[in-house]
Amino acid sequence: MLEKETELQKKFWEIFSKQDRQKIEEFQTYMDKFAVNFNLYKDGNFIERSLPFDVVPRIISKQEFNKIEKGLQQRVHALNLFLEDLYTDAKIVKEGIIPEEFVHQAKGYLKEFKGFSPSKKIRTHINGIDLVKDTVNDEWVILEDNLRVPSGSSYPLSIRDTYRKIYPDFFEQLKIEPIKQYPSYIANAMNYVNCGGINVVLTPGRFNAAYYEHSYLAKKMDAQLVRAHELKVVDKKLYFKNYNGKLIRVGSVYRRLDDDFLDPTFFNPDSLIGVPGIIEAYLAGNVAIMNAIGNSVADDKGIYYFVPKMIKYYLGEEPILKNAPTYLPYFEEDMEYIFNNIEKLVIKDVAEAGGYGVLFGHTMTKLQLEDIKGIIKANPRRFIAQELIEFYDEQCYLNEELHERKADFRAYVVMGEDIKVWQCGLTRYAIEAGNYLVNSSQGGGFKDTWVMEL
Amino acid sequence: MEHLITANVATSLYWLGRYIERIESSLVHIIAAYDKIIDVKKDAGVELYKKFNIDIEYTDALDFLHVAILGDHTANLTTISGFARENATISRNHINTEIFGEIIALHALFQNLSKSKIDIDYKVVDNAQSLISEIWGELSKRKHKKFSDYFIKLGKVVEETDFCFRFNENETHTNNVINDVYTVLEILSTGDKPDRTYLQTKMGHQEVMDAIHQQIQSVIIE
Repeated sequence: MLEKETELQKKFWEIFSKQDRQKIEEFQTYMDKFAVNFNLYKDGNFIERSLPFDVVPRIISKQEFNKIEKGLQQRVHALNLFLEDLYTDAKIVKEGIIPEEFVHQAKGYLKEFKGFSPSKKIRTHINGIDLVKDTVNDEWVILEDNLRVPSGSSYPLSIRDTYRKIYPDFFEQLKIEPIKQYPSYIANAMNYVNCGGINVVLTPGRFNAAYYEHSYLAKKMDAQLVRAHELKVVDKKLYFKNYNGKLIRVGSVYRRLDDDFLDPTFFNPDSLIGVPGIIEAYLAGNVAIMNAIGNSVADDKGIYYFVPKMIKYYLGEEPILKNAPTYLPYFEEDMEYIFNNIEKLVIKDVAEAGGYGVLFGHTMTKLQLEDIKGIIKANPRRFIAQELIEFYDEQCYLNEELHERKADFRAYVVMGEDIKVWQCGLTRYAIEAGNYLVNSSQGGGFKDTWVMEL
Repeated sequence: MEHLITANVATSLYWLGRYIERIESSLVHIIAAYDKIIDVKKDAGVELYKKFNIDIEYTDALDFLHVAILGDHTANLTTISGFARENATISRNHINTEIFGEIIALHALFQNLSKSKIDIDYKVVDNAQSLISEIWGELSKRKHKKFSDYFIKLGKVVEETDFCFRFNENETHTNNVINDVYTVLEILSTGDKPDRTYLQTKMGHQEVMDAIHQQIQSVIIE
């Protein structure tokens, strides 16, 4: 189902109808030439591939985006306060807003960091918040919060430059928000929390799925792109190993790897992509790591359920943006509802991401539904259930025809001295009609997102 | 001001310069041999590849191009361009975007030949040479000049030195190229200046290359 056509969309189609469609191929040429890739591992093989791109942008009116912006600022503010509270005083738990047991059972909760406050008490530096627009209430709904290492921003950034070159008419004739400033938001946040030294982007290496993005952002932010063995910890301080053997102090690290791999002396001892001793430097307050260690607890889909309560608790405000209706089998009442309605719900594993661990009740057989009920009963903390949200499709120009595809929207919010919402985002569409999974790792494509006004 | 670049990236840039120069110099010799094979000297290609310590066989001039570009040997240009691409990928945030794009295009040009059934002819060589000219052209633009470019330049002149010896270039030319190597090393060096005494001694191919590698190891410290 498509959203009712707006005046802004009409203007887009009016210009689109006058454009040379043959030039659409140039987007792919550009992505191939500059290796704008999101790599995949399939059957044990490393495949370098570009993300499928659709030329029809998602268009959001400036007025509508203003509400999204306020809602996201509010949400990220509350999430940051939650994480800081959780790892220090834990008032929200002591006051029973979130059950203590529920938090402590979260896979991403790291009790070793209890009592530690990171630089400037900022933990949620770079956030990817996934939203969809619900067809029933015609409003934006939050699907999940990604507060660890959200990826994807480099693709719309890269493609926008190309779009302007290939089809300048749109940008000459329409009032589209510029988006180039995003890397500077991250650079400013890094500078704000910097503990003295240079900024670096820590990548697992060129065989990582998002290596293109690591490299792109480092370049745009004027930060050094490094792998673990190019950093060294001496006396609880982190250093960059320069080509001439000199050690240069590092003050802030934008890490593109998960907590588990960050430091083999602290977390997974088998990690070859981590920096030995970096946690010691972090805990000594000598380096900022963004996003903060331990954020994974807030990525937990079970904790997501409590975000509206966090907003009320910390900010004394009503949430501007709603969550999707969610049930926790952890609560008996919810378990009963889930079991009675499982065929119309979506079941999610709380610790999974990227579209993995998602089951749609309506596509499962009776036997499968009984099986999953048994699994949920045995481990209720591991799952959440959500009402299946009918979200709007987007028009996609595929094989020279318009098709409708489910599409979500990842908004990027950067927290430094203030909270900035990027006037763009990653619109991801499902590669097949009727599919609700739009994730890049599930083969989904992307579109540019235009925040526009008349 | 301290120039920030990791040893790994510096090494990748150096090898990138070497591989691109190796492809360019090889193409110059390949096209010269190709011309001779047509009607002057049938085994010009065999003689050329002996300089790389490689034995090749071919039936005619076009087949020689095929063997030179795609043949099963260590000087296969598709493989070398793949190495260049890999080093460019590792060091891409220190490379001008246009240069990176040309390197990807160069590899794609050779790789597509191995995948398709298109006959290889002189146009492939022309296209590859044009792409390489664009790479060197972008690098020489003063407005884009970056410190990290000197590592590419170092690789380029070291590879040129190697070719000078392999193809017995005259001594003055060879010494000029070696001089360029040491000039770049001086720019990159933050410690003791590189020792230029090599010029006073008549060193052979391997000795010169070893001396250069030793100097590089004192500039790029792993």
